[in-house]
Amino acid sequence: MVATYLRRAYSSFAAHVFDIPPRLLVFLVLLLLVALPVAKLDDYVLGILISANLLAIFAASWDLLVGRTGQMSLGHALFFGIGAYSTGLLFENFGFPVWVSVPIAVLVGTSIGFLVCFPCLRVKGPYLVLVTMAFPIILEALFKWAPLNDIFHGELGIRKLPSFFPFLKIQGQVLAEYYFTLTLLFFSSIILYKIANSHTGIVFVSILDDDVSSRASGINITKYKLMAFAISGLFASLAGCITAHTLKVANPPMLSLSWSFIPVIVTFLGGIGTIYGPLLGAYIYFILDRYVLTILVDIPYELVYTKLMVFTLIVVILILKWPRGLARFTTDKLQDLEEARDIDERGPKIWKTYTKKKKK
Amino acid sequence: MIEEIIILGTITGAVFALLAVGFTLIYGVAGVTNLAHGSFFMLGAYMFSVFGPMGFVQLGIVPALILAVIFVAIVAAILYKLTIGPIIGDEVAVLVVTVCIAMIFQQIMLLTFGPEFFPVPAFAEESTIIWGVSVTYSRIVAAVTSLALFAFLWIFISKTKIGAAMRAISQDREVAMLVGINTERLYMLTMGISASLAAVAGIFIASSTTRVAYSFMWLEPLALSFAIVVLGGLGSVKGTFIGGFIIGYAEMAVAVLAPQGGAIVSVVPFATMVLVLLVRPKGLFGKRVEMEE
Repeated sequence: MVATYLRRAYSSFAAHVFDIPPRLLVFLVLLLLVALPVAKLDDYVLGILISANLLAIFAASWDLLVGRTGQMSLGHALFFGIGAYSTGLLFENFGFPVWVSVPIAVLVGTSIGFLVCFPCLRVKGPYLVLVTMAFPIILEALFKWAPLNDIFHGELGIRKLPSFFPFLKIQGQVLAEYYFTLTLLFFSSIILYKIANSHTGIVFVSILDDDVSSRASGINITKYKLMAFAISGLFASLAGCITAHTLKVANPPMLSLSWSFIPVIVTFLGGIGTIYGPLLGAYIYFILDRYVLTILVDIPYELVYTKLMVFTLIVVILILKWPRGLARFTTDKLQDLEEARDIDERGPKIWKTYTKKKKK
Repeated sequence: MIEEIIILGTITGAVFALLAVGFTLIYGVAGVTNLAHGSFFMLGAYMFSVFGPMGFVQLGIVPALILAVIFVAIVAAILYKLTIGPIIGDEVAVLVVTVCIAMIFQQIMLLTFGPEFFPVPAFAEESTIIWGVSVTYSRIVAAVTSLALFAFLWIFISKTKIGAAMRAISQDREVAMLVGINTERLYMLTMGISASLAAVAGIFIASSTTRVAYSFMWLEPLALSFAIVVLGGLGSVKGTFIGGFIIGYAEMAVAVLAPQGGAIVSVVPFATMVLVLLVRPKGLFGKRVEMEE
């Protein structure tokens, strides 16, 4: 009984994962990421991986809004910063524990997503870019404004936030945070990917392609734009408040324009409109940023801002010469592989024997 | 107090209108939302002080101004040819690429001139008193020259042959191509004109008001030009002129009336823009702004 059940589960898993090259690749990458800490990495590398996981969630949420729905936003740091600041304020003023303040902060971020959406619904294209760009800049100026220093602490931001696993030792904390963020990344990317490929996702793409004709075919585009903003805001603020707790600080740079620009870089590295592109992009970004441009090419501290220039140049060249991005290129190749196979050979043997037995 | 708002508001408004008209021009003719507009403003200010009496190439004020503006125009035309030209028509790509250009300029300025404030020479140090308000001569020069340039641009667009070609392209690109207008070259020319107007505005504001150039000074003028253009209606030169003055008065009013107003004056353009888009997305003057093709 149990053996049949296990056999069935395994064969279904084999049919749905092993047999489809892109999924197999994702599975292998996931295995690699889970097994990575076995290699006794130091805390620095683990910290980079934690940041990469969180950035991947942030960038994937941007991709859902921009690459799938076409609501060009250059102020995504708004959600990120709101998430970080609300969890920080909740902790500082009311002493909320982490596991309570994070869900509340995510809710706050989502509702801000709703609120911000209302001026954004009336505008599109270049207007939308500037309106979305304006919100975090206004908020950043407000947080830095001297009369409000008692609440937001100006440039320094809210510091000494608690970590997620205070009962563990330092080494254990970093490891636990790594697995925690990896789990979050896994589930949020699956949710985002499923949304992007559901019926709702198809409606999002129709808004991207031509909002006038989608309205003409009876779609309530206002509702769907609201949905896109709220979903995107939810995941971005989730990334924001987790980041605030891993870095133990929520400060104005989390709302700055360059921080809004990072998901753009990451998404174009991976491939816009794919959801899985930004995930790959985030890891490539951190490899380039923390390994190639820090260890291989040792940039002196005074010139640290040239990194952003290198990345923007890469984005310009990618848009002009290779707009499909790295991740989509890979999946295209894998798809070709699958299509080249003979139709009878598709599916692993175990699945075939199982189905044949069932028919008999 | 009210005199200050009126006099200083008029002076800043004239320069702001000059800044925003370039933005509206390139949008109206080529349909390009140039988010790198503020970078040309910044580049103008930097180049003016490089060529100017205190800089590396020690020229007089007027030749320095002319050289800086020509330099910016050439840079803009080359950038158009290399980056924006190949992807024209793809809105998202143009927006991202122009933001990238702005970021790259910011980093280049940080790299070459460092993060410190870079001093910009003034046209004249002396000041005079108009209606009880002390105004420096360089601000008066800036305002008068801006108005003159605006008038010149107006005549250029409405009377000359190239101006007529620009208007033709903005009305219908394909028909304009059919009657033999070289659209690519005109786009490049418009980009150059638009960037040089931004550079002139940058030089005026940097040399008469702030007296410094720094690498983050592109964002505020970009927001300013957007706010002005949204007020007046995107693509309309007349609306831009009026919008510039409205924003000029609004900024002065905040700077004079609000407590510690100088610190939050940079928020005014953003706030105005969001407010206008909330209340009247078509612009203040009721003209229907076509945001679709």
